[in-house]
Amino acid sequence: MQMSEVVEENPSLIPIISRFGIRLGLGDQSVAEICDKYELDTDFLLTVINTFLNEEYFPEKKLQTFHTSQIIDYLVKTNEYYLRFQLPNIERHLTSFISTSIPGNPILELIGKFFFSFKAKLVARIECDDRQWFSYCLALSEKLQDKLSGAASLPPLIHPEEPADDPIEALLADLKRILVKHLSGDYNLNLCYAVISAICSLEKDIRQHNRIRFRILTPMVEAMEKINRP
Amino acid sequence: MRRTKQIAVILSDTLQCAGLNSLLTDYFPPVNIADFRAFDDLPENGTGNGNGTDFHYYLTQADTFALNIDFFLPRRSRTLILTAGKAASPAAGCNCLDTGAPKEALIEQLQQFFSSEDTQNTVAERNKELSMREKDVLKLIAQGNTNKDIADKLNISLNTVLTHRKNITARLGIKTVSGLTFYAIMNGLVSSDAIG
Repeated sequence: MQMSEVVEENPSLIPIISRFGIRLGLGDQSVAEICDKYELDTDFLLTVINTFLNEEYFPEKKLQTFHTSQIIDYLVKTNEYYLRFQLPNIERHLTSFISTSIPGNPILELIGKFFFSFKAKLVARIECDDRQWFSYCLALSEKLQDKLSGAASLPPLIHPEEPADDPIEALLADLKRILVKHLSGDYNLNLCYAVISAICSLEKDIRQHNRIRFRILTPMVEAMEKINRP
Repeated sequence: MRRTKQIAVILSDTLQCAGLNSLLTDYFPPVNIADFRAFDDLPENGTGNGNGTDFHYYLTQADTFALNIDFFLPRRSRTLILTAGKAASPAAGCNCLDTGAPKEALIEQLQQFFSSEDTQNTVAERNKELSMREKDVLKLIAQGNTNKDIADKLNISLNTVLTHRKNITARLGIKTVSGLTFYAIMNGLVSSDAIG
């Protein structure tokens, strides 16, 4: 199948393939040809795309067979995408939503504050990923490859919380619900829609990110820790 | 807010199970489906102690129903039995789903099954107003109190606080402390100066 057909059918994949370095101007190349050109693992790309498009589909066993570095590379790219595009995008819409609505609707100011507290939490998690968690996972995976050479084991790191309810997802869901359900006073509906669309797009992406993070990466790391124990 | 239907699907046939899953997800959201190959795989197996692990609905096959009649009979209004063709119902007053029926008819039968059960719950859920006590709890949450603080201040048990919190979240659809704080300020329960 041609990559261009897939993307035309599902434009929401554009940010996903861009995380693999794939740019538009796809021509008539098939998925396999594109992967060849960009030196990508076709199987991994297809699995990520399919799980993104179909939320019912989540082959845990299969995903866990990929290399830790592939999984982390993808998660790092999604984090970057949140920081560089999706958060600023919501912020931009939200700012114009608040400023163009009749001044003096205090609820909108509050919604702004609510968003910034969400943003701070997400940014903090990403910083922790970059500083600690991902490098720990990678080091562990490398150690495992050197296992035969008798390398010393790493001290175990406290894993990010297993989410019965991921706080990031919960905050985003509340933000959306507040806009849909509890908004009052005068405001610009059209711009509000833009804010909600931007939130929905981030929400979907984070849901996908989280299931890879908690259901794939965390179990992989736990398994590696077990093997790596002295 | 429409509650998420917690559904247990107990079927030995994988394809039937997958088909049912897709129908439920596509046409009856929001659903949370747990699949079990056999009755023994159910976490609350047989005991049905109703300690909150009870599913809202059970979808199963006739023989599973018949073999575990003690479990299903008290839950028959919440149980749907898959039958091939218009077979006689294994017990009086049970809901059946003819798996051979056209898709449209299947959806209609499922719709009927869910709506007959739904009516019992909606009355309470429609009453969106928070009670005075819930407002007190909400105020304290917004002021940054922990559950323990709230229990002490209102002189109620920790469990009661948790119940209030659960009810508040169910009524408003808001889960996080930030979200609840926002709601409290918006509705004048606390002033924004009172928030740290």
